[in-house]
Amino acid sequence: MIFRVAWRSIWRNRRRTLITTASIALGLVIAIFFIAMAEGVYEQIVNDGVRMQAGHITLENPEYQTAPAIDLRIGDVDGIRNQIKKIKAVEETKLLIWGQGVANSGAGAVGVSIMGVEPAVEIKYSPLAREIVAGAYLANDDDRKAVLGEHLAKELKLEPGSKIVITTNNARGELVAELCRVKGIFRTGSDEIDGYFIQIPLNFARRVFGLQADEATQLGVILKRPGDQQVVMKEIKTMVGGKNIAVLPWQQILPEVASYIRIDRVSNWVFQGLLFVIILFTILNTLLMSVMEREREFAVLLALGTPVRKLKGQLFLESVFIGCLGCLVGLTLGGAAAFALQIWGLDLAFLMPEGVTISGFAVSTTVHALVTLPVFLWTGGIVLGAMLLLSLLIMRRVRRVRLAETLR
Amino acid sequence: MVKIVEAKSVTKDFGESGIITRALRGVDLVLMAGEFTSMAGPSGSGKTTLLNIIGGLDRPTSGTVSIEGNEIHQLSAGQLSRLRRDRIGFIFQSYNLIPVLTALENAEYVLMIQNVAKEERRERVLRVLKEVGLEGLEHRFPRELSGGQQQRVAIARAIAPEPALILADEPTANVDSETAGSLMDLLRRLNEEKGMTFLFSTHDQAVMRRAGRLIRLQDGRIIEDNLQTGNR
Repeated sequence: MIFRVAWRSIWRNRRRTLITTASIALGLVIAIFFIAMAEGVYEQIVNDGVRMQAGHITLENPEYQTAPAIDLRIGDVDGIRNQIKKIKAVEETKLLIWGQGVANSGAGAVGVSIMGVEPAVEIKYSPLAREIVAGAYLANDDDRKAVLGEHLAKELKLEPGSKIVITTNNARGELVAELCRVKGIFRTGSDEIDGYFIQIPLNFARRVFGLQADEATQLGVILKRPGDQQVVMKEIKTMVGGKNIAVLPWQQILPEVASYIRIDRVSNWVFQGLLFVIILFTILNTLLMSVMEREREFAVLLALGTPVRKLKGQLFLESVFIGCLGCLVGLTLGGAAAFALQIWGLDLAFLMPEGVTISGFAVSTTVHALVTLPVFLWTGGIVLGAMLLLSLLIMRRVRRVRLAETLR
Repeated sequence: MVKIVEAKSVTKDFGESGIITRALRGVDLVLMAGEFTSMAGPSGSGKTTLLNIIGGLDRPTSGTVSIEGNEIHQLSAGQLSRLRRDRIGFIFQSYNLIPVLTALENAEYVLMIQNVAKEERRERVLRVLKEVGLEGLEHRFPRELSGGQQQRVAIARAIAPEPALILADEPTANVDSETAGSLMDLLRRLNEEKGMTFLFSTHDQAVMRRAGRLIRLQDGRIIEDNLQTGNR
């Protein structure tokens, strides 16, 4: 009967219960929508960033990260790659040769970052390969071809078909200059990438930098599920144990991106938390009002001999019912909104016409949410937990009811 | 006869900061099992205060009250709560039914908190509701009942657990005189048939006339305590 009394009591003031439920639901909808949206943006940043670079896991010379130099390469990359490809969680592997140099044209010279890539893999995974605005992206059988950023092309007055000379130091420390033609021009929206970045085919890069056929500066691993990173890293470490190769997570290769996500995630949760605290005060106020209005009823129940714990239990149940209702509505609506955003995305280009870059990586202005079970569990759990804490505050009022005075 | 209530030198003061109102000034009262007693007196004479103290809803400032030999000032809050649940029935002036429960559910509420099995309490409550004239109205909510019907539900709630003592604070104050008469007849019948002990406060002369014993209070003191011939 306590269940029945609690359930019917919350509907005695239908409007108040609906307002309380709606407050909880609104808080949850906002929290789920924005957290899922942020998680979607993070995933997009990570995916774009890591796929443009060396994947979720990078194999490179242990000293490369502190002092990147072309002579700090790794060997036997094909053999290692074949072994890694056998790991089920691995979607793809990619080889990179990454060095620094100067790009010269008749219009001038600009210091550039030169990346030797496997075009077929890049086309499949790198967002850069899809951002060609003039000419075409590289093909596997291309030789002496390059794609470069829009700003760089403008500065050196280049267009598809133009000649360009790349000057650099090779792995033996010799100064080398190679002529090639511009095949395509890309626009990522990032000043750094569009202004100082050149991609050339891997074999051409080996020739430019003086590397052997089974050498590269990085061997990248793209995972089917980023969550498998630690397990796969452990497996690869065992595989390459004894070789002078470091196996690094993307967070170490792109520390600025990792820090950005960490800070943004925390601030997002704090913001949502503060918003919810404000909503909780409203709910506390409503619950308190509902209890204070019913002091006479509580006095009657206590006078009839209802144990205090039973009455407290009834109030607790009322809070649980309202909390569960709010959660049900909030999780459903919030989940639906976030899920719609995951499927269809939302183009915010009208708010950011000049595009967005995070840590030098251009991020698409079309945001997609990432709906995950933990977001539901955490937000729902926090809301229910908060409701139960509030109910403890409310329950304390039962002890304060003075029977004779209240029933007078 | 068994002594149900024994109040000795009960006083009750209200107020603080030096302004004290003395509501009861040394009341002595004994109620025997099966008595049908009415307390009369002007407003502020201490009727409700005395009922509250006997019912364990309030504590006396001094003096003692025993219910079936249990001195209530020596009981813990939990023991007092159990005493009210198991041995005392309350009928309030403004009915005080639980608005979200039907007549049937209200009447069985005390049996429910006594942990009486569902089948048994349903059977008992249906019988009691029939006795108080509410057959056919069991599933109505209080808002769907008249004042007199609501008070009958309150009476059913009070008598269903068959307590030793039923305390009624102006049970007919909120109903018309005809309904008041029939409610008093009902209480009297329950008293005679079930041997329940009743103590109620009233201003109503017609109610007083139906009582087997009439106590008059004034300024916190019992000034008259008479058995009424023909009503015993």
